[in-house]
Amino acid sequence: MKSGFRVFVAAFIALGASWCGFVLAPALQLGAAKQTQILNSSEIYPLQRPGAAALGLQVYRSLGCAACHTTQVQQSGFACDVVLTSAGKNPEVVSNLISTLKLTGLTKDEADSVAGKITAAGGKTETHIVTTGSDIPRWGIRRSVAEDFLWDYPVQLGSIRVGPDLANVGLRYDAAWELAHLYEPKSKVKDSVMPPFRFLFEEKNGEVAPTEDAKNLVAYLLSLRADVPLYDAPFTQPSLNK
Amino acid sequence: MSDEPKNPSATSGETKSSAVPMWIFSLLLLLLFLGAVYFDHHSGWFNSQVYAPYNNAEELDAYQPKSGAAAMLAQGKRNYEMICGACHGADGLGKPGQAPPLAGSEWVNAKGIQRLIHIPLTGVSGGITVEGKDWNMSMAAMGAALSDSDLAAVLTYVRNSWGNKAGEVTPDDVKAVRAALGGHPQPMTGEEMMKMSE
Repeated sequence: MKSGFRVFVAAFIALGASWCGFVLAPALQLGAAKQTQILNSSEIYPLQRPGAAALGLQVYRSLGCAACHTTQVQQSGFACDVVLTSAGKNPEVVSNLISTLKLTGLTKDEADSVAGKITAAGGKTETHIVTTGSDIPRWGIRRSVAEDFLWDYPVQLGSIRVGPDLANVGLRYDAAWELAHLYEPKSKVKDSVMPPFRFLFEEKNGEVAPTEDAKNLVAYLLSLRADVPLYDAPFTQPSLNK
Repeated sequence: MSDEPKNPSATSGETKSSAVPMWIFSLLLLLLFLGAVYFDHHSGWFNSQVYAPYNNAEELDAYQPKSGAAAMLAQGKRNYEMICGACHGADGLGKPGQAPPLAGSEWVNAKGIQRLIHIPLTGVSGGITVEGKDWNMSMAAMGAALSDSDLAAVLTYVRNSWGNKAGEVTPDDVKAVRAALGGHPQPMTGEEMMKMSE
């Protein structure tokens, strides 16, 4: 083999280049991802999953849930809504002004100008950042970002939505619902195509009881909640006292 | 051009086949390399914080929610429930023998906010009278470790929850009191606090 060395060098360069592009570069760019602060708060996100939920991630993996479920919310746009918080001393002037203005779905510049006009008339406003997209607010309030998966190993984004997206499933249901749904999906969702996972349950003294796997899986599902605003996925949280 | 007659194809508009000078080839390779280094240095202008649909870091910056009144109350509620709620209760009603109520308390709903800001910053020792009832207890300086904005948010939340309808406490208010106290303030008694202006 006369050109053996040249073949080796060519193969080395080809594989080395793709390794740099697919392994080295992403590791340099995103490998240092760490916990971050929730917007307008001193709290850290995301917190490590509790033990049962961390075990549940492996159950989720072993059952191949990611074949039919995604855990990523997509977002197609963002906008500003101007919200009137106080009409001030001349409520009539402000309400007349507001009826002539477009208050939702604005760009930042438009929102600033609208807010300026209302403030000039004596009203007080807040500018809310809202997210848009067909996933929102069905599966989540904002898009998924790298931080959401910080404690996941392996990360199971999933690519096909035979079932619903699970990025925020922990916000939607409780443990009892999840267990009943695993045992007999159609009892909770009439037209569900999900197979029943009866082998996660065992009979104890004539009663159906969840195994450790089932409990861990449900703990994992309940820990799926990516609903806080972050710097890289900002939105205005709905007000508390309303 | 002396060699023209020897090469008739050049006159008929076709390119002369000759080797590219080595220095042009080297220069091109060098430029390509420097270009790649420059592109790589900027990571192809990749920013790990910018996700679609945001186009660049400036746009993302512009669309950060401002901490309006709602955000301040949310921040206050979180901190309150983490720090204050253990004794004063998530409902602000306090616990008998442990902590006086905050809902409807004259200390919370006072017009001035000086005394209210002092309580978490210095703590309280000895008795304090709340809503006509004497509380013989002591409170550590629970708020001293909080940032100005966190403490202001907690106090604003306390002043605007459970039926309380008093004004806002701004981070600057807290900053001013903290600066006036200096380091390591002693816990105050209720009587001492009554002596200071509202």
